[in-house]
Amino acid sequence: MQAQTDTLLRYRPWRGTFRGPLSASFAMARASVKLLLRRRLMWGLFALGLLVFLFFFYAQYLAVWIPNQLTSSDTLRVGVVPVKVNDLTKLLERLSLNGSVHTFGNFFWFQGYVLIIVLALAGSVLVGNDFFHGSLPFYLSKPIGRWHYVLGKCLAIGFFVNLMTTLPALFLWLQAGLLYDWKTYYVDNLDLLAGILGYGLVLTSVLSLLAVTTAILVRQTVPMVMIWMGVFVLLRMMSNWLVDGLNQPAEWKLLDLWNDLYLCGLWCLGAAPETIRPQPQPEFWQAWATIAGVCLACMLYLRKRIQAVDIVS
Amino acid sequence: MNFPESNMLLQPPSLEDVHHRHTPPPLAEPLLLFEHVSKWYGPVLAMNQVTLELNGGITGLVGANGAGKSTLLRMANGQLKPTLGRVRVRGIDAWHWHARRLVGYCPDADAFYEDHSGRKFVWTMARLCGFDRSESTWRTEAVLERVGMAERADRKLRGYSKGMRQRIKLAQALLHDPELLILDEPLSGIDPIGRQELLEVFRSLASQGKCLLISSHELEALEKLTNHVVIMARGRIAAVGTLQQIRDLLDNHPVSVRIEVGCPRELARLLLAMQEVIAVEVDRPARPGGESISLVVKAHHPKRFFERFGELVIEEQMDVHRLEPLDESAHAILGYLLGGSGKT
Repeated sequence: MQAQTDTLLRYRPWRGTFRGPLSASFAMARASVKLLLRRRLMWGLFALGLLVFLFFFYAQYLAVWIPNQLTSSDTLRVGVVPVKVNDLTKLLERLSLNGSVHTFGNFFWFQGYVLIIVLALAGSVLVGNDFFHGSLPFYLSKPIGRWHYVLGKCLAIGFFVNLMTTLPALFLWLQAGLLYDWKTYYVDNLDLLAGILGYGLVLTSVLSLLAVTTAILVRQTVPMVMIWMGVFVLLRMMSNWLVDGLNQPAEWKLLDLWNDLYLCGLWCLGAAPETIRPQPQPEFWQAWATIAGVCLACMLYLRKRIQAVDIVS
Repeated sequence: MNFPESNMLLQPPSLEDVHHRHTPPPLAEPLLLFEHVSKWYGPVLAMNQVTLELNGGITGLVGANGAGKSTLLRMANGQLKPTLGRVRVRGIDAWHWHARRLVGYCPDADAFYEDHSGRKFVWTMARLCGFDRSESTWRTEAVLERVGMAERADRKLRGYSKGMRQRIKLAQALLHDPELLILDEPLSGIDPIGRQELLEVFRSLASQGKCLLISSHELEALEKLTNHVVIMARGRIAAVGTLQQIRDLLDNHPVSVRIEVGCPRELARLLLAMQEVIAVEVDRPARPGGESISLVVKAHHPKRFFERFGELVIEEQMDVHRLEPLDESAHAILGYLLGGSGKT
């Protein structure tokens, strides 16, 4: 006998071809991005990142405007505070705001402070909660593999990495071209464009893997933040203390993961090793090797969690 | 084990419709097959040499807490990997993502992204199934209507009641029209009317050739739905089959039957002469002031007893008003098998 509810069944045969699990990774990434964009705290951090970008944007403009409009002996008034043009140009020169390799290198460096906080908070929301609250079975009951899940989460984290670093850096590159002779700047600095994209790719790969791995490891926000602060703040302080304070070899700077990423990024941008500040710094290959080691460790851990051990507790 | 009755329900589905056209799984393979599956959680043996085959119909999975029900369901869905043995869905390793095209899973946990609306959550799940945007939208609406959530699906998940969450979980499991539907406590927290609706949904799905494996502590509801059960105890399958088949196998436990008849004393005498009958109790009248007195008969070998009882009634031309087995319920059988009250 036909049940009453049979009439409600609206299934019809699916005549199309299922998209592969890679498309599911993108769907998962989209859902994760939207999830994070709902958090007000995140918008506050994005605003902070925007401030860093605007600082570079207007400072790059000032670096061109001041020499054309003022002499070095002039004094500007910022509100009620008089600022000597000479001091201002020194600051701008120190940040290398001239559309060169170090303009973008510095931008990535400073934007990193905000980015690390964003990722430390995002990891537990995007990944940790799936484990901690048990929503993972919903994802893994669909026709996707474990690695597709990891890829989806990495894509979501990569989106935020690029939103806060690569995309604004590209704007700065475009702006630099407009401030100088755009015909020659864009043509002569195509390698810089490739370098920016390369830097972004390095950050995306390493940070997304690291964020997913640590989020799977510790799952909750507070431990996640503590681990990230340990890696990016404590180790940095320690490496500086060892190299600058105790005059140990520059290789100790490899402990500073953000510095390693910076060196790899500068390699992508084509910077000469002697122009990197502060000195001394380890070799580029050493930074690459460290980054590769971190990625390998993350992949091995994820493989262990995914292949050998049940990830549904 | 095979359920012959279940096989009757299995109609060859149009696999091209529900699976990727290039990799249709072979139909000859069982829909769900556990082969000598064991599962260890560290030093704890959660599942011990389980062998099971399902091909269709509705199967209830019952057992006490910690018996291994959820482990079995998760392995069937590829959420867990067996330590030993193998789990296959239509011949595909359940751990492989291809197998999950054939399986819908409704977990017992109801942790969602609480900021999402029910509709958005189900739509996202449809995208994960591999449907394109428009098909996802269409299927989302279809399953929401199917589970009675179409009108309420725009609310945020955090505001949902337990019953609404259950329905949303069921909706996402139905999205890709799976051959095998695994439901872990699907009736938990649902009000009686909603429960009846969902039982109807399950029945209609089974009538369309789907195989449903339902774990539930609510044995009364499960009995209304199916009499095929898998009883688990301490990581092993204690029994598989219909409740009647399982009861028949329990020779150590005499069957109790209440019989209402016009001439109880005569019947009691005849029954006591039967080899299978252990005891006959004369019970109080079933209806106050009524003439009918019921007998409660305890007998070994239920199958043989019922055959001989039937012959006896015909020979003696007795007027039997009522015949009610008292311990063929899932509760009673579980009690016998698990050595307790039968409550799970």
